[in-house]
Amino acid sequence: MVPSRTGFSKPIAMSDFLSILQYQFFQNAIITAVLTSILAAMIGTYIVSRKIVFIAGGITHSCFGGIGMAYYMGLNPFLGAAVFGVISSVGIEWVSSRAKVREDSAIAIIWSFGMAVGIIFVFMTPGYTPNLMSFLFGNILAVGKADIYLLLAFTVLTMIFFLVFFRPLLHTAFDPEFSTVMGVPVRFYRYLMSVFIGLAIVLSIRSVGIILVLSMFTIPQMTAMLFTRNFTRVIPLAAILGITGSMAGLMSAYSLNIPAGAAIIFFQTLQFLLLKLLVLFLETRRRGATG
Amino acid sequence: MEKPLVVLKDVSTGYDGDIVLRGVNLEVHPEDFIGVIGPNGGGKTTLIRVILGLLPVFSGTVKFPGGRPGTGYLPQVSQIDKSFPITVREVVSSGFKAPRPWFPHLSKQQKQRVNDMLAEAGLMANANRPIGELSGGQLQKTLLCRALINKPGLLILDEPNTFVDKGFEQDLYRWLQELNRQMAIILISHDIGTISPIVKTIACVNGTLHYHPSNQLSEELLKVYNCPVDIIAHGPIPHRVLKAHSHE
Repeated sequence: MVPSRTGFSKPIAMSDFLSILQYQFFQNAIITAVLTSILAAMIGTYIVSRKIVFIAGGITHSCFGGIGMAYYMGLNPFLGAAVFGVISSVGIEWVSSRAKVREDSAIAIIWSFGMAVGIIFVFMTPGYTPNLMSFLFGNILAVGKADIYLLLAFTVLTMIFFLVFFRPLLHTAFDPEFSTVMGVPVRFYRYLMSVFIGLAIVLSIRSVGIILVLSMFTIPQMTAMLFTRNFTRVIPLAAILGITGSMAGLMSAYSLNIPAGAAIIFFQTLQFLLLKLLVLFLETRRRGATG
Repeated sequence: MEKPLVVLKDVSTGYDGDIVLRGVNLEVHPEDFIGVIGPNGGGKTTLIRVILGLLPVFSGTVKFPGGRPGTGYLPQVSQIDKSFPITVREVVSSGFKAPRPWFPHLSKQQKQRVNDMLAEAGLMANANRPIGELSGGQLQKTLLCRALINKPGLLILDEPNTFVDKGFEQDLYRWLQELNRQMAIILISHDIGTISPIVKTIACVNGTLHYHPSNQLSEELLKVYNCPVDIIAHGPIPHRVLKAHSHE
C-alpha cells in the first residue's frame, strides 16, 4: 500500500484498522506521533507557562525560509529549517532582552520575513518541488527510520535536560529577576531554552507541518492545565493528551481518508473543547451543591 | 559601629539613558530598618534595583564592604504572574541555591528547611497548591518565605502591603520587627502612615534621596526634602503619623 497525497489510497472501514498496523509506514507514524507528543509536552509546557506562544509561532514560520533556501541549494530542507529555527529563536530572545525594539513587532518581522524568503527560494528552484506541501501541512505517513532516530535522540536529550535542570528552568521562567538576584545565570538558561525550542519545533514540523505545529505545543498543554496548575504534572498529562489526540487523528485519517496532520490537530482541539465543557459542567454543579 | 553592608556613593541611574535617580548617597548597616517612601515614579523601586544589582549605575559607586551580602528580595506582587503553573513549595524552594550547579537539586537539609519554613509560616496546608489559588496575604507570605529561606543578611521588600488585608499587614510588620534582630531590612511603601512606627529610619526618594535618621517626619520636613507624599491622600486620617511627636 502506497500513501497518497492525503496518506491513504482509499477510505477503509474501521474494522480493518488492526490490519494497517502491520504496515511499516503506519508504525512509523504512530512512533513519530508518540515521540512528538512527548517532546512537545515538555517544550510546550515551558512555552505556554512563559506565555511565549507568539514567539514560538514566529520561530516556526521563519523555518520556512530555511527550507526554501536549502531546496534552492540542493541541501536537506530540515537542515535549513534547523539553522533558521535556532537563529530566529535565539534572535528573538536577544531582541526581547534588549527591549530596543518592541518584541511583538520583532516577532512579526521574523515571522513574515522567513515565509517571504521561503517562497522566493522555492519559486526560484528549477523544477517541481513535490514535498513543499508536506512542509506546510506535514506528512507523518512518510516519516523514515532516520527521522525517527533523530526525533528519539532529541526527545531523550530534552528529557534528561529537563530532569537535571528542572529547577533553574522553572525558576528563570517564573521570575527571572529573582533568579538573577539569586545568582542563577538567567540569560544562559533562556538562550539554551531558545535553542531547544527552535530544534523541537523543526523536528515536529515533520508530523503536522509548519502551519499546524504550533498547536502541538499549546493545545495539549492548555488542556492539561484545565486539571492541574503544577508544572511537573502538566508535562506528563500534556504528553498523554497529545498522544490520545494524535491516535484519534491518525485513525480518522485512515478511515476517512483525510490529511493526518490536520486530523491530529482537529482531535486535539476537540479533546480540549470537550474537557473544557466537562470542567465547566462539574464546576457549575459543585457551586450549585455548595451554594 | 559594624561595617556597612552596602554603600551607595553619589549614584545616578535610570533606564535607557534617562536618569531617574541622581546623586544618591546611602549606607545600609546590619541592624538597619529603613523605610523608603516617596511619590510614584520617584525612583523607590529603581533604588532597590541598583542595590540588588539588577540595574547598572550611570555614575557613582555601589560597594559592599564585607562582600555582597546574602539578599532576600520580595518584589511587588503585581510583578508576579499568578497564572504560572508553580506550587507554593516550589516558589519557596527557589529561594535556595542548589549546592551543585551542574546538578541543581536541593540537598536533604535544604528540603527539610523548606518544610520547616512552610510550617512556620502556616503555609503547610497550601504547600502543593498552585500560587494562582492563594489569597493576597498567602501569596505575600509565600514570597516572603522565598526571600527568607536562605537566611539573608539583607532583606528588601517592595510594597509588601498591597493587596493584603489589614490583619495580615499587622502580622507582617510584627514578623519584620522580629526579623530585624537578625538582618538589615529595607522596606518600600507608599504608606508612610503605617510603616513609620515600625522602621528605624526613613529615606525619602523623589529623583534624589534624603535620609532621615529617625522614623518621625513632619510635613514641613517632607516639603524640605521635596518628597510630596501622595500617601497623604491614602487612609481616613492622613495626619496621624506625619506629625512629629513631642519627644522629638
